Amino acid sequence: MASDPQPPGEAARIAAETDAELVARTLDGDRAAFGILAERYAASVRRVARAVLGDPDDADDAAQDALLGALIKLRQYDPRRPFGPWLMRIAANAATDRRRRRRVRRTEPLDGNVVARGMLPDADTQRRALGQRLRDALSQLPERRRVAVVLFDVEGYSHAEIGRVLGIPEGTVRSEVFHARRALRGLLADWREEGPE
Amino acid sequence: MSPEPMPFDHRPDPALGAALRQALTADDDAGFVARMLVRAAQAPAAHWDILASWARTGIAAAALAALVAGFLVGRAVSPATSLDDVLVAAAGPSSQAFVTSLRPPDPSVVLSFAEER
Repeated sequence: MASDPQPPGEAARIAAETDAELVARTLDGDRAAFGILAERYAASVRRVARAVLGDPDDADDAAQDALLGALIKLRQYDPRRPFGPWLMRIAANAATDRRRRRRVRRTEPLDGNVVARGMLPDADTQRRALGQRLRDALSQLPERRRVAVVLFDVEGYSHAEIGRVLGIPEGTVRSEVFHARRALRGLLADWREEGPE
Repeated sequence: MSPEPMPFDHRPDPALGAALRQALTADDDAGFVARMLVRAAQAPAAHWDILASWARTGIAAAALAALVAGFLVGRAVSPATSLDDVLVAAAGPSSQAFVTSLRPPDPSVVLSFAEER
């Protein structure tokens, strides 16, 4: 979901265009329109891919696959429905496909500065350490649970929309989000209790 | 951070959401999109060509549909062929005899007329 402030003038007009309008322009052959759509959703697509894959480079490759896949399938998009969930479904599937193809699971090396507690020199390092712990905790969750909690708590999609993204009932989405939150909140609580601040 | 969630809590957790966002967000979205668009343009079967081919297919299908529709409409509005039209088209000495005679025609005459035609 786009969250950047709208620039003035022509850029503001473009930024105000709906997703459906941009899709229509893209289908008419307007490459710039697809660029705007991609910029609008790039951050979300990359986050969903990273939640599935962990590795940032793999995630970016999957996110690119997703956007290119969306471009090819654009005529299948129903403009009466929101574009975001449609794209997120493609993104989640692209990331899952890439994870299945990946023969050797690579893991991000831990930052040497944050491996040991008591070696956290500044707030930025602490944030990075917390981020690493969250990513590690996410990687322990079932894949569907990861995507569900990211789409709900980070991207702001509803349970019903996430259900359509993941192809599961809304009640199952609620359950997945609940269990993911319980695991991640425990980690955050520990972090706050044990943290140097 | 919000307290322990209820199983059917429908509200996003802002604190957890912010922490996850920070953990998962990569930088340079603009560069990422630029690389993606370059990849789209360089693809062997360029994606824009795919779109264009779909557009051409759509135009061809629409033209064919218009031709079929025009043919069907044309048929619907043209008057049906009447018996008079048939008789006039088949007008000739022998066919006039069929029409004007009060007696039913001899089958052999009908057959010979059909053979003439």
